[in-house]
Amino acid sequence: MNLETVTRSSEETRWLGARIGSLLRAGDVVSLSGDLGAGKTVFAKGVAAALDVRDDVVSPTFTLVREYAAPIPFVHIDVYRLDRFQELHDLGFDELMSGTTVTVVEWGDRVSALLPVDRLDVALQFGEADDDRVVSIVPAGNAWAMRCDALVAVLDRDGPELEGEAAR
Amino acid sequence: MHVLAIDTATARVSVALGVDGSVVGEVSLVGGRRHAEQLAPAIRYLCAELCVPLDRLAAVAVDIGPGLFTGLRVGVTTAKVMAQALRIPVVGVPSLDLVAYPLRHSSRLIVTVLDARRREVFFASYRPVPGGVQRTSDYAVRPPAELVAELESGTDELLLAGDGVDAYRGDFAELDHVELAGSDHSFPSVAALVQLATARVEREEFQPAGALLPLYLRTSDAEINWERSAAGA
Repeated sequence: MNLETVTRSSEETRWLGARIGSLLRAGDVVSLSGDLGAGKTVFAKGVAAALDVRDDVVSPTFTLVREYAAPIPFVHIDVYRLDRFQELHDLGFDELMSGTTVTVVEWGDRVSALLPVDRLDVALQFGEADDDRVVSIVPAGNAWAMRCDALVAVLDRDGPELEGEAAR
Repeated sequence: MHVLAIDTATARVSVALGVDGSVVGEVSLVGGRRHAEQLAPAIRYLCAELCVPLDRLAAVAVDIGPGLFTGLRVGVTTAKVMAQALRIPVVGVPSLDLVAYPLRHSSRLIVTVLDARRREVFFASYRPVPGGVQRTSDYAVRPPAELVAELESGTDELLLAGDGVDAYRGDFAELDHVELAGSDHSFPSVAALVQLATARVEREEFQPAGALLPLYLRTSDAEINWERSAAGA
């Protein structure tokens, strides 16, 4: 299962994050990949909004981890400044992705060996126009495979067009 | 001799006060708020209710893991700081030993297994000996399936204990010649920590607080693969 869509502006990327965010439950992990400026933090802001995070969500690039209070607490991690896997252990990375929070990991593709098997991989790539982003959403692990229908349904609403390829 | 015991290596926060090796009070919390927020209030409550001012403590004992990273850091740091501020010794005892010690009257080979998250477990094996247990393996971290396969190849009668057994009960229950300890043996025993630490303090077996280190087991020198020049803005 691989869903792909194109967002035409950062507002649309944020909207997409919020749509995904509306699906998330305690214990879920979302891995974001994409170059600098691709919109990972914008997407994360959308997720946070859907979780009713009231504080301003800012990039955790320099703090590495930010935690936000919400009905389901939101943990926002950015591994960009890290050089070694040991530094992730030193951050208590495993426990940040505990069953009680929703966790978004920016540059998660670089540390996928340490991510849980069950997660949502979201990749943002630059598209044709300056503000276009090609967003691919790949559910990893059995738990997400069973939530694919919900994923398609929640994305298939007013907003960016979506093409679903059932590759199962 | 008053000894304060601290265990934050698992999902549980536990503190106990021992007098001459026996527990006179214990506070244990599973779940709820986090280790960092629960530990100091638990110590304060325990000492206040038992009317033991901190300056009466003869030593601090702490579970040094292996265990959950954040909890270990909170527990070991608290123990070291208290030891330094109060100028008393600190004694570290590994978590897996503290699960095994209360089972020392068994005739079986004891394997203690703690949940390491990420579908892995920490484990070690012990043989009961007069007055305690003797560790017969290194401390290790591996997926439960690998531990099951290893145990399958042995011939010893086994006794398994720890929250790692609870987490993967289905895998372990299939083993022959295995007995699973009940859920009252899921966590490291703070009573054992009091007892073992008191004996060590009496024998003057302790390290300077600065030298006490947690047993993390998970180490990785691997570099994260960055192609920053290619990925640069």
